[in-house]
Amino acid sequence: MIRASLTGLLLRYTTALIFIAVLLYFGAQAPNFLGPESLANIVKQASFTGVIAIGMTFVLLTAGIDLSVGSNMYLSAMATSAILSNPAMQNAPGVTVAILAGLATGVVFGAVNAFCVVVLRITPFLVTLATMVVGRGLGTAFTESLGIEIPDIFAKFGSWSLFRAPDASMGNPALDYLVALSAALTALPTLTFALVVVCAYIVLSRTQFGRQIYAIGNDAEAARKAGINVDRVLFAAYVICGLGAAIGGVTLISLIGRLNQTFGVGREFNVITAAVLGGTSLFGGVGTALGAVVGSTLVQAVQSGMTFIKVNPYLQPMVMAAVIFMAIFIDALRTSRLEKLRRRMLRAD
Amino acid sequence: MTAQASPPVGPRRSDYPGLGLLRGLLLSEYFVLYLTIAYFAVASFFFPALLEPRNISNQLSNIWPLLAVAIGQTFVIIIAGIDLSLGATMGIASVAGAVVMTSAADKLLLGGSPLWGWALTEQGGVLANHPAALPVAIAAILGTGLVIGLVNGVFIARFKLPPFMMTLVTSMLFAAMAIWLTQSQNIVNLPDSFTNLGNGDIVSVYFGEKLTPEIKRRDILPFVTYPMLISLALAFAAHLLLSRTVFGRQVYAVGNNSRAAQISGVPVRRTILLVFVIAGFCAAVAAILYAARLEAGRPTIGAGSALLDIIGAVVIGGTSLAGGKGKISWTVVGVVFFVLLSNTLNYMRLSAFHIDVVKGLIILAAALLDVLRTRLARMRG
Amino acid sequence: MTDTVLSIRDVGKNFFGVTVLSNVSLDVGRGRVLGLVGQNGAGKSTLMNIVGGNLRSDTGSMEIDGAPYSPASAREAEHRGVAFIHQELNLFSNLSIAENIFISAMPRGPGGLVDRRELRRRTASLLAEVELDLSPDTLVERLSPGERQLVEVTKALQLDANIVIFDEPTTSLTPRETTKLFALIRRLREAGKAVIYISHILADIENLADDVAVLRDGRLVEFGVRADLPAARMINLMLGRDIDQLYPPHKSVAEPAVLLEARALSLRGVIKDVSFSLQRGEVLGFFGLMGAGRTELARILFGLDRFDQGELRINGQPMRNHSAEGAIRAGMAFITENRREEGLMMNASIAENIALASLTELSNLAGVIDGRTLVERAGDFATKLQIKSGAIGATPARSLSGGNQQKVVIAKWLMSRPVIFLLDEPTRGIDVAAKYEIYSIINDLAASGSSVIFISSEIEEVMAMADRILVMRQGEISGEFTRDQFRKEGILRAAFGEQEKVA
Repeated sequence: MIRASLTGLLLRYTTALIFIAVLLYFGAQAPNFLGPESLANIVKQASFTGVIAIGMTFVLLTAGIDLSVGSNMYLSAMATSAILSNPAMQNAPGVTVAILAGLATGVVFGAVNAFCVVVLRITPFLVTLATMVVGRGLGTAFTESLGIEIPDIFAKFGSWSLFRAPDASMGNPALDYLVALSAALTALPTLTFALVVVCAYIVLSRTQFGRQIYAIGNDAEAARKAGINVDRVLFAAYVICGLGAAIGGVTLISLIGRLNQTFGVGREFNVITAAVLGGTSLFGGVGTALGAVVGSTLVQAVQSGMTFIKVNPYLQPMVMAAVIFMAIFIDALRTSRLEKLRRRMLRAD
Repeated sequence: MTAQASPPVGPRRSDYPGLGLLRGLLLSEYFVLYLTIAYFAVASFFFPALLEPRNISNQLSNIWPLLAVAIGQTFVIIIAGIDLSLGATMGIASVAGAVVMTSAADKLLLGGSPLWGWALTEQGGVLANHPAALPVAIAAILGTGLVIGLVNGVFIARFKLPPFMMTLVTSMLFAAMAIWLTQSQNIVNLPDSFTNLGNGDIVSVYFGEKLTPEIKRRDILPFVTYPMLISLALAFAAHLLLSRTVFGRQVYAVGNNSRAAQISGVPVRRTILLVFVIAGFCAAVAAILYAARLEAGRPTIGAGSALLDIIGAVVIGGTSLAGGKGKISWTVVGVVFFVLLSNTLNYMRLSAFHIDVVKGLIILAAALLDVLRTRLARMRG
Repeated sequence: MTDTVLSIRDVGKNFFGVTVLSNVSLDVGRGRVLGLVGQNGAGKSTLMNIVGGNLRSDTGSMEIDGAPYSPASAREAEHRGVAFIHQELNLFSNLSIAENIFISAMPRGPGGLVDRRELRRRTASLLAEVELDLSPDTLVERLSPGERQLVEVTKALQLDANIVIFDEPTTSLTPRETTKLFALIRRLREAGKAVIYISHILADIENLADDVAVLRDGRLVEFGVRADLPAARMINLMLGRDIDQLYPPHKSVAEPAVLLEARALSLRGVIKDVSFSLQRGEVLGFFGLMGAGRTELARILFGLDRFDQGELRINGQPMRNHSAEGAIRAGMAFITENRREEGLMMNASIAENIALASLTELSNLAGVIDGRTLVERAGDFATKLQIKSGAIGATPARSLSGGNQQKVVIAKWLMSRPVIFLLDEPTRGIDVAAKYEIYSIINDLAASGSSVIFISSEIEEVMAMADRILVMRQGEISGEFTRDQFRKEGILRAAFGEQEKVA
């Protein structure tokens, strides 16, 4: 009995434990990893994966999946940068139009997935696998596999921050941390992420739509019988996921300053890992918006850490694969435990 | 007292009498065969080059390796699973074999590989120029496939990980590993005894008049080749396994209703595990055929749109993603269709990106067809 | 009956050419409780599903308060003031009680957000109505089966409907919970609602109903004031014949040899200290409420779930951590309560279904099966059980009627030649004639030396068929009755676990 509850505790706090282990390990290997700049950078970089992971959480909660987010990012960023490459659009209204066009692209992409899943009733992983390939193919064909430079007026956004950290040290390490972190936390991508997290949190926990998403993930048939418009909710989940991918793509492109043909390739792995590490289940009905924050920060910490201690770049994807594996393995264990508990009809006295 | 199942809603046959024929056609086992023949007829009208013996010979050689790996995917899809790691399996398996038997390696390219210095030197692999190289290399390739299949199978069967997610992870892991081991280079200088497996012919034909006493080798077109024999033998064995054995029945039972199968004494976990092992094995056979034809172990053999071909061929053949329904013969037709499709897309001078788009859409169409067929069958039953 | 709320006129329904309901006409009055009784398959659920909008009738019409009523969906029925409390639960275990009740009608506050305080308040007052002393924020996964059923009831109350249909609402309730539910129904009646109450427990009907309607074979055979219809008359009307004709005559053929023995079997939270033995040729009935642990016990005996403690012997051989394959090898067969999910491969042919548990026997040493032999052998069993179908090698199981599907499941197990049959609700959802056939098969099995564990929630059925009855309650065996001790009151009391007037 003690053993059982210990497993339960371990499963519940795995992410936290991994987080501590990761920080300690990389910190020991390269003390700078725990320095203000490094941590600030992790927080900032995590926001791109995080925004998309939030969208993915909506889909995962319905027991679906979206493998196409990387291609979606690419197409959305492309819409934005294509508009901005026109000199006439390189002004404030032009940038607004470009951003809206990028987001609209993401929404349309999500709606295509939603249509195939909800109306045509094709299984989600296959739909999004196909749209992943199709989206990437369309984008590459459109750009003829050339990169697109992002004009400065937009590239400035990515590095904009409410607070700017001075280049020189303040002399006091604690103060250095504070300054660097507040700069990172008030950087535009992080602020965007924070806004998305708050919205997602409210939608998921405080609206009827949000609670219906959980209901569908728990038992879609029962949801239908309970009078929930299952098709509409599912459709919305995929559209939201598409929007998340677009926000991630458009903000990231403003930081990088250039749209390459490989932009967003493989990003779906990080995103799914982030969501699942954050406690969202691949089996539906379990997960939160805040989990995606924790998960994406952890994923980014691992990636930055590997760069920091100069892990062979050929090995890095293998490490990431191991992290994903761990995430889904823990999820499967957790789910089968829940199922076992559910079968116990008697109350534990 | 349970509520009775509500009768199927939706259009009845009588509502659209004109669609009866289409319905029958869609439900027919041979639908894709008809489609392939019709497509071939129409396409060859626009691209007469399709009918040239050289093209046909080339396309045949494209069919065999794809067929081998698609057979494995057929088993997996029949149990309502999916294996996204077959492409990566082919890549790393071909590398494993090539590393054993290569007779020379370039330090400049491969010096950074973790294999360099012990398994791989400038004099090639450990069994370079050794008579045992060929059998050991083949064993290494098949072994790699079996091990990856086993890893997938164990976690999917025992720990109930979703197949698409598990195999996505192994795909990522082994693709990265293959690239790491080879520093993304091809492993070349393979022995002739191996490359013969890909190019060796049994029946070849020369078309045209005999103008000179010597016919150039490249003008003789192979039709019956070793890859053909190997793939067809694999297909035949798989067909017998599925349709004539206890194991085959158990595979269908698991795909049809795994809970009912378990209660009826079908060893569900073992069946799932074996199916993924078989899939790994088939991918390894395909790796042999591809590597022999390319005369290289290539980490990226199965990268990119190869995965689309492997899934698309099976699904368009008629094997249902919902599980419990599928045949090797359908997959043969599906593979022919897919190769023919790629062939015509090439003639249309489409870029690789456009071809990806078309293939992606074809997969969606195949999946939609599967959904439609299932619904039509329900309405009829 | 002066003030009619719902009137049903000549309603009929066919499924795949079989008439399940014909020309039923009924009136339900304001402030009255209508008891609807009938055998399984008599058409009660079909009729109520038509009223509740889950099914459409083929003939006839309905009116609510004089206005035409023909709902296309459960939603539309709700809009017209009809609430249907299903027997099976439709709850989301990952959500709270409050969220479950209001999942598609949450109170909104400013900005369209859920007004959680209002949600809690409304839920609390609904819970008070069913006297369920739980916080509205409690997750449903923490509730007992009885509490879940009461939450299902409150879901319907929330709609504030004028017509409330209860379909067997007490199957997993404790007597205390049942009393609370009845008090609630009386309050509904006093508030002027029309209540339709479906039950097998005639005592409850006598207790609650103002009017009674009796259905038999899809027809309304009687409709009148309850006072004119004592229980004995209801039974006669429901059966349409003497009770003896419903079950084949019982003849005990049990021998002293013990085939299966369980000693103190336990699985934490599921079953506790279950001990019993099963003799050769014995039909051992297991009776209890839903969720009492009978199915769970059967799954453990059959090796589908493990047990933590205790001992299980089959034919004297100890069994531990065995699988279903092991159980089948030891001579067991398991006919589960969910034909659809656990019994049949719906899209596979009848022959493939029948052969599924005997594949190894049908094959040679190399594991090769001859398809023709398989169909022939399966055909023998199909003929023996008189399965009515097309060619068994080509007809999918899904195209058969419920009774014939159940016979396919039985044929599958007969083919594997077991000596111990576990039957879990084998007659659920099949018609009277098919039931009789299945009872006869059970008797034949016993006569041929097999032992049968017969799990049922229908007390008459268990009493008619079993040599001995074990009653389960909350995972434990709460009573044992030999045939000479069979009394409805005693058995029910053991099942409920409390002193109560029943039947």
